[in-house]
This record gives sequence, structure tokens and C-alpha cells, in this order.
Amino acid sequence: MKVIKRDLGRQRRRVGILFMLPALALVSAFLGIPIIQAVYYSFTQWDGLTAVWTGIGTYTHELHNPIFWRVLENNGLLLIGIPVAMILPMGIAFLLNEKVPGWKVFRTIYFLPTAISWVVIGMVALRFFAEEGLLNGLLKGFGLGFVHTDLLSSEKGALLAVSLTFIWSMVGTNTIIFLTGMATLDNSLNEAARMDGASNLRIFRSITLPQLQRFIQFSFIITVISAFTALFSLIFVMTGGGPGFGTTTLEFFIYQSAFSRGDFGTGAMLGVILFLIMAILGISQLAIIRNRD
Amino acid sequence: MMKRGQIWIFVVMILFAVVMIYPFFFMINTSFKSNAQFLGASGHSMLSWHKLFSALPVGRELLNSTVVCAGSILIILIVSTMAGYSLSKLRSKASWIFFLGIVGAMLIPLQSIIIPAYINASHWNLLSGYWGAIFLYAALGTPFASFLMTSYFRGLPDELIEAAICDGLSYRRIFNKIALPLAVPAIVTVIVLQFIQIWDDLLVGLLFIQDPNYRTITVGLGALSAGRTTDIPVLMAGSLISAIPAVAVYLIFQRQLVNGLTAGIGK
Repeated sequence: MKVIKRDLGRQRRRVGILFMLPALALVSAFLGIPIIQAVYYSFTQWDGLTAVWTGIGTYTHELHNPIFWRVLENNGLLLIGIPVAMILPMGIAFLLNEKVPGWKVFRTIYFLPTAISWVVIGMVALRFFAEEGLLNGLLKGFGLGFVHTDLLSSEKGALLAVSLTFIWSMVGTNTIIFLTGMATLDNSLNEAARMDGASNLRIFRSITLPQLQRFIQFSFIITVISAFTALFSLIFVMTGGGPGFGTTTLEFFIYQSAFSRGDFGTGAMLGVILFLIMAILGISQLAIIRNRD
Repeated sequence: MMKRGQIWIFVVMILFAVVMIYPFFFMINTSFKSNAQFLGASGHSMLSWHKLFSALPVGRELLNSTVVCAGSILIILIVSTMAGYSLSKLRSKASWIFFLGIVGAMLIPLQSIIIPAYINASHWNLLSGYWGAIFLYAALGTPFASFLMTSYFRGLPDELIEAAICDGLSYRRIFNKIALPLAVPAIVTVIVLQFIQIWDDLLVGLLFIQDPNYRTITVGLGALSAGRTTDIPVLMAGSLISAIPAVAVYLIFQRQLVNGLTAGIGK
């Protein structure tokens, strides 16, 4: 019996490792090795064929490049939209949670953009913000025709247009996250607090929000990750990064450096910087969760 | 009957619904206009749809999208169910290193690896057909899918496995005969999530599919919009046709999609 048990343990270990191998091979070949290569090539001048070691030269050179800082600034400005992309869905989720007739249909409609590609979203957004587009039509309709906008032709305006489109498409995802959270709320706490004479606002701040904390964090991290890494196609279709560098974010800058300018070394370096930003965010998120449990 | 407060909520929700659904209305409405009608003339026509089919090999590109999605999802399912089973039911000392690797891989943004991955793929001759895109999509989807499968298999009772072992089944047969059939809900979630993600992606398809004959519909559309076509109704017709499959999958499998999205919170 003991022999069988040991055999079983060995079989278990062997099959366990065997079953990990395909995933391991795939992820290593297409993600693991490339990220190591990216780090190596970030210290070189590389045109895709030959790489010349330059040490931290690429980094110091880029840190003195005003365009690089401009690009990071664009990323920073996009982050300003994040509170809106979270508070709005929080409100919508509260309304949905009232379960008025038809709320499931509304939920389906709000979540719909999740299924639509950024290419399609970008294409429609382009017409919306265009000079002859719906935005100006609406403004005129509300008697605000004097606020004639042409967002896409100015650098800051184009970034605002991209940002608004980004917020629009995050509404569904975040609404669903908050709605899931609200399904876990313990209503008896609210009743008890109300008995003690607490106001609605007070109940929301001291009882509801703390219970939703995990969901708020999750929505925050998803929104930040999207802002940094999901907008390539949207920018590609809407603005091509312009006008000037007005809407070039870090992820778009990587693409431009490598595939428009052929400067693969700088592209790899920018990729490493993006990875570091994401890794720091991810690890701090994990640390917060760990601490609480 | 609705109460007064509920009516207000209803009105606000309708307003939001209009904002969210307007782009679809715009797409559908515009696609049934000629360019002249879009620019002001009245009426509708099928002209833009005819033009779309001559500007874009729609059928071929829909087929390409289907092949790429099917190929990558199949690979993701095979490797992630195996990995999930291993990480939950066949744990050994090596498991936590694997698990850490999987979670770590989830943190790697596509843009950070795309340049070396692209150069490697061209060395491995993967850029001429579908394979480069299929493998990269599969690799990008595998970490989260494995994570999902691991937490799903953890929910299966160990007694089930032990009983099967006592009946003389090997770990491999248990995987095929017991674990996989029980994992169908998680498998459906992975399929739905990945289908929408891959169908809608532009960047990987743009770089890793070099032969225009193999282009996916989303890439074809992106190329069309970046090119000289300024015929907006044609672009809207293309947008609509590219969006329909993913929207259909969304409407049918909404629940699985929500499950997949919220799986990351770890209830």
C-alpha cells in the first residue's frame, strides 16, 4: 500500500509538471522571452537587424527629449478622466439597483460598448466630434450655437475628445462592476443605521462605500490599465496621435518609434518604461489586497 | 405601477440609454445612405453597402477573423485547462513558481513585448499566414484563462479526484473524463471573453498578419479608415458588419461575460 501511495505521489507530480508545460512554453515564447529581450534591446541602438550596445544612453537621451515628456503628460491628462469614468457608473449602478421595470434591458444597453471594437468606436466618435458632427448640432439645438467646437483640430481639444470617448466606453464595464458589488451589500446594516437616525448621505459614506471598497479598487485598476494600454486602436483611428503630438500616449509612441520611424531600440525602451509603470501599479494593488486579508 | 421616484429614475436611465445606443443608431442610419444623402440630400439607399463590398473583401475578412479567433481560442482552452488542473489539483513544490509566472505574465502589457515578439515572429516565419497572430493572441489570453481555470478547478471537491483514483483512474483520465466536462461553464466564459477581445483587436492583426489576404475584418476596417476612403457611409457599413458578430455573442452570453469580468475580484 505504501509503495502504491508513493507511486501515486510521483505520478501526481509528473503529470502536474507535464500539464503546466504547454502553457509555460507558449507564454515564455511570446511574452516571457520578449520582455527580457525588450530590456536588453532598450540598452542598444537597434534597427530590427543589428543592435549596437549603448548602455543607458537610450534612456538618458530620451529623458532629454521634450516629446517624451509631452507624451507622458498626455497619459497624465488622460488619468484626470478616471474619476468621471468611475463616479458616473457608480451613480448609474445605484439607479439600476433600484430595479425599476426594465432595468435588465438598461443594463444590457449600458454594457454594450464592451462588445464593440475601439476601431468602430473611434470611427463613430470621429464623426461625433467633427466640425459638421452631432456635437455642434446638439449645441446649436440647445441654443448654444455660439460655442462652436472643433475639438479634433487642436492638440488639447483632440485629447479631450479621446478622453471623452474613453470615458463613454468605460461606463458599461464599471457599471457592471459596481452593480455586482451592490448585489453583495448587507441591507440590514442600512436599516439599523436608519433606526439610529443616520441620514442617507451618512449611510452611503459610512456603510455602503466601505462595503464596496474592493469593487472600487478593481474598477480603478481596470480603468487605469485601460487608459495606459487599451487606447492604441482608438487613437490610431481617431487622431493618429495628432495633431502634432497632442494625442500621442506612451503606447502609441512605442508603435510610432518602432514601426513608423524604425527606431526599435527606443521603442523597446519605451515598452520597458510602460511595463515598469504597469508592474508598480499591479504590485501595489496586490500589496493592498494582501494587507487587508 | 411605478412610484414617483421610480419614474424619475426611469427617465434618467432612458437618457443614458440614448447616449450609449446613439452610435449604433448613427452607424445603421448612415450606412443606408449614399454619400450625397449623408451630406444633406434626403432619403436612404443601398449604395454604400454595394460600395463596401467592392472596397473591402468582407466575406474573406469575416472568414479570416473567424479562423484567427477559433485557432487562438482552441490553443488557449487546451493549455489553460491543463494548467488550471495542474495548479489546483496536482500541486507540487514547483506549482507556486508556475502560478507566480502566470500572474506575472498578466502584468505584461502587449505594447511592451510587441517589438521583440514581432522580430522573433519574422525570424520564425510566422508573419506570412495566420500563425503569428494566432500564437500571440493565444499567449496573451493564456495567463488570465489559466488563472480563471485554476480558481474554477479549486471549487471541485478533492474527494471526487480521490474516489476516481480509488477506482483505478489515472490523473490524466480524471482530467479528460471528470474535470473537463465539469469545467464547461468556465470554458464558455473563456471563449466569450477571448472571442470579443480577439475579434475586436487591431494592433496584433495589423503587425502580425502581413498578407492582406489574411487580414481580419477589424484590421481591414482600420486600414480602410486610415487610407483614402472618406466615404463615411461606406465606413459605417463596414463598422456595422464588423461589430455584429461580437455584439451577437455579447447578447447571447452576457452572463458569462459578466462572470469573466468579475472573476478578477475574487469573491
